[in-house]
Amino acid sequence: MTAVARSWSRLTLAGKILFTVVPILLVLTAGLLLVIVLAGKPIVDFLAANMWLVRFVVAATAVLLMSVPSAFLIIYMEMKVIALMNLRIGPDRVGPFGSLLSVVHGLKVLMKEDFSPTGADRLVFTLAPVVVYMSAVMSLLVLPFAPRIFGADFNIGLLYLFAIGGLTVVGLLMGGWSSFNKYSLLGGLRSAAQVISYEIPLTLSVVGLLILAGTMSLNQLSINQSGWFTNWYVFQQPLGALIFFIAATAEANRTPFDLTEADSEIVAGFATEYSGMRFGFFFFAEYVNVFVVSGLIVTLFFGGWNAPFAWPEAWAIHLNLDPGSLGMGLLFGLLLIPPILILALAAPFYVGRSSLPWWQALIIGFVLFNLLVIVLIGGWAFISLDWVAGLLWFLLKSYVFVFIFVWMRGTLPRVRIDQLMGFAWKWLLPASLLNLFVTALAVIVISPR
Amino acid sequence: MTAAPPHGHLHQEVPSDDPRVQLDEAAGVFEPVPPYPPRTEREAEFYTLGDGEMFINMGPQHPSTHGVLRIVLKLDGENVVDLDPVLGYLHRGVEKLCENSDYHHSIAYLDPLEYIASLFCEWPGVLAFEKLLDVQVPRRAEYIRVLATELNRILSHSMFIGWMALDLGGLTPILYGLIERDEIAEMLGALTGQRLLYNYLRIGGVNGDLNHEFMSRLGDWMSRATTQIEANTTLLNENEIFVRRMRGLGTMDKETAFRMAMTGPNLRASGVPLDFRRAHPYSVFPELEFDIPTREEGDCLARYLVRIDEIKQSLRIIDQVIHNMPDGPVIAKLPRLLRPRPGRAYAAVEGPRGQYAAYVISDGTDQPFRMRIHDPSFVHLQAVGVLMPGHLIADAMAVMASLDPIMGGVDK
Amino acid sequence: MDAALKRRLEARFGDRLTAPVYQRHDETEIRIGPGDVPDVCRTLHDDADFRFILLADVAGVDTGTVMQVVYHLWGDTSSDWLRIVADGLSREDPRVPSVTFLWQGAEWMEREAYDMFGITFEGNRDLRRIYMPPDYQSFPLRKDFFLPDDAARSPGAGVRHMEQSHAPRNARPGETMRKVRA
Repeated sequence: MTAVARSWSRLTLAGKILFTVVPILLVLTAGLLLVIVLAGKPIVDFLAANMWLVRFVVAATAVLLMSVPSAFLIIYMEMKVIALMNLRIGPDRVGPFGSLLSVVHGLKVLMKEDFSPTGADRLVFTLAPVVVYMSAVMSLLVLPFAPRIFGADFNIGLLYLFAIGGLTVVGLLMGGWSSFNKYSLLGGLRSAAQVISYEIPLTLSVVGLLILAGTMSLNQLSINQSGWFTNWYVFQQPLGALIFFIAATAEANRTPFDLTEADSEIVAGFATEYSGMRFGFFFFAEYVNVFVVSGLIVTLFFGGWNAPFAWPEAWAIHLNLDPGSLGMGLLFGLLLIPPILILALAAPFYVGRSSLPWWQALIIGFVLFNLLVIVLIGGWAFISLDWVAGLLWFLLKSYVFVFIFVWMRGTLPRVRIDQLMGFAWKWLLPASLLNLFVTALAVIVISPR
Repeated sequence: MTAAPPHGHLHQEVPSDDPRVQLDEAAGVFEPVPPYPPRTEREAEFYTLGDGEMFINMGPQHPSTHGVLRIVLKLDGENVVDLDPVLGYLHRGVEKLCENSDYHHSIAYLDPLEYIASLFCEWPGVLAFEKLLDVQVPRRAEYIRVLATELNRILSHSMFIGWMALDLGGLTPILYGLIERDEIAEMLGALTGQRLLYNYLRIGGVNGDLNHEFMSRLGDWMSRATTQIEANTTLLNENEIFVRRMRGLGTMDKETAFRMAMTGPNLRASGVPLDFRRAHPYSVFPELEFDIPTREEGDCLARYLVRIDEIKQSLRIIDQVIHNMPDGPVIAKLPRLLRPRPGRAYAAVEGPRGQYAAYVISDGTDQPFRMRIHDPSFVHLQAVGVLMPGHLIADAMAVMASLDPIMGGVDK
Repeated sequence: MDAALKRRLEARFGDRLTAPVYQRHDETEIRIGPGDVPDVCRTLHDDADFRFILLADVAGVDTGTVMQVVYHLWGDTSSDWLRIVADGLSREDPRVPSVTFLWQGAEWMEREAYDMFGITFEGNRDLRRIYMPPDYQSFPLRKDFFLPDDAARSPGAGVRHMEQSHAPRNARPGETMRKVRA
């Protein structure tokens, strides 16, 4: 064994990761700097001329990067909230209150053995989780998070979303069929039947909304619901909202419609033969789907990124600051104010508790200083910048609906496949048609054009 | 000595031109299901696939079979056409073990038969021994036996509610059932020293008297038992999804129930008010007041509701027992070496699943000659073969859960 | 002790009983030959003054000299358990007709008696082993069963002490077997 190999084998796992990742990052950074120095200007000119390329790359990256933390958060929330509903504690070991659980799960699935079962169709087996995950992530592209923060603003945004939702079922069927396992087959077929049945009420329940709003662009729908919460479409389309909520639960394969992964009947349904990162993809895709569906309900019916009341412009605090006019005072302020505040915040702890060492008091002061700054700047941003406020309102409302989905999972048992299909075709479909007709009639009677 | 045959294969030669065998070889993978060639008429009928049918193996490891049970289902799409349960994964040879140990020690072997209701597994054995020995059990011991076993019944039924909901997909009621189970297990642990396999009944009485910790825990629990059980069951009783899935499912009428030799709540849910505590009284049950909950429908919902009503009746019995507890010894004086005279005895009790019984043959020595244990789960599990076909897989699981089998008792 | 039941049984089955009706505590026992089992059970099940509709247990017994099959029935016309002992089955080839035509729930209990003793129930459609693996050779609850019977034929025979036969070297099953008159 060479010296390098011996040293390598003596490293811990963390050391191995560090010594692999850091050199690669350094090389990439150096390379990037070199490219910028040598060919910076032509590249920037090219990109400025083709802004759509920049927008595309930024949107795609943002959406991909955004999906993972939201999935992490929803996974943790589900475990913790259902545990608390079950009168148990749930994850509480990794991180404060178990909050790093999802991170650990993510690392764990990355480190598992990668295999496919004998007789499985390797290519389709590998592609199925990718298809499911990508369709979930692509749905995030059109959700408007805040007034100017969205991936892309199609004027057929809603239609795009429903089409992508249909793509999920292709992935599930691929996974179920290619696993060479009867349980997976049953799970895949169940899910295909379920998603297809519920696509129709899902789509039809929104058509009434489209008649009222006149547009399929999600951004425009959010703008239409600005002002007081009585402008929200849920008050104009209550039946449509209810049908959409139920159909969306079925689309996202959540309890009470979670037969595809009914683990007391068919082990794990279509995902029985999956492990490691492939299963991780299915798992994440489900939770991203939950977030997408919640965001969609919020955007369509509950005001999107709008606050429940009309946000008065007068509240915005416009800081018309010109940094240049502050001169040296700015420099002194930036250098002196943080240490003074840290000391000021640490002093009560140091003085009040005699057993606290000075450096621990300083750490507490530092943390409190950070919190203070976050609160002040965040508060200012929330009040003054409409996109910050919109983002926070959107996320808050979405997570209320995510909580409702998690709540349903902890409480309700599962329906049977024939009851599920019967409910979709015999109840939801006529109800959504009724909604559509009544809306159309109302529009014709009240405001004929 | 010839080479041992490969594991899992029968000794018979398999003819290689049979289309079923050729299909397996063509697929190139191990299709584990049918033993070939079929040994009985029923096996031949079961392992012949019709048009569009397939086998699915709910193997010994499965999230919803109540223990290690293997069920081979013959499916047509999602409909269960037929099924073949395969037992024996938990067979421990209890009857043979009891034959090789003496009377006092064989009681400990009876506990793990149905580990959830272990006092009910000990009781018929102990009763049969007492019949052989003509032992008079003191009244206080009888009252303590009734108290402990009724607590065990409530524990078993609380867990049943949890498993029933879990098999239907609800994640929460099992944890509420576990709260009940935990409290009763702590109580019985204070009384007997053990939380699961109590080993408490002895020939001629019980192992130890009531103690202060047990009585305080019992009093504490009894004061909130009714509301707690009410809260646990309301979540499910009024849940539309739950009720809609269980109503009309797996209906068993009286003739079928008697034909399948059912006893206990499964029989009472079909309209037969047969409870061995009233029909063939033993112990002090003639002095206690309680009703026999019966339902007429015979479907899964009826079996579930009967068990909930039984919990309430058990609470009534415990109340009466606590208030009327006589004084006296808790065990009859018996020699350590027991030699009953040759003879036979049969004793049966009414447990949470049905009739638990023991048939003991004594040959005059200190070891039982034959200790036959009758367990209700074993008999009831045959009913899945009658009730499940024609339903979907999801319903099949619900039906099996509603019959409440415990594999320890099925496999002995 | 139901004396009326004893009289009814003797009146009905007098000629088929191979021993007097025996009663002790709350059990009434009749003994019949194996061939009479279907008729007697059907009569006890259908007849209006017996109505023993609940089959409580089917057990096999190896007395050392003969095999028996013991049925326990319960009915609401009597306060006793009724025990039917089908006596006199040979130990080499025990056969008895099945009662599955009356009670389908007896199927598995008879399968268990077959598995443990080797008693063949004629008419049981599914007479195969229930607890032991399908290729097991011996019948465990018989009195001439020495524990490592089948393990001796496995590839790992003799490797671990449990697989070595603990029977005495000069043991002959007929002599060291337990017997009972029951």
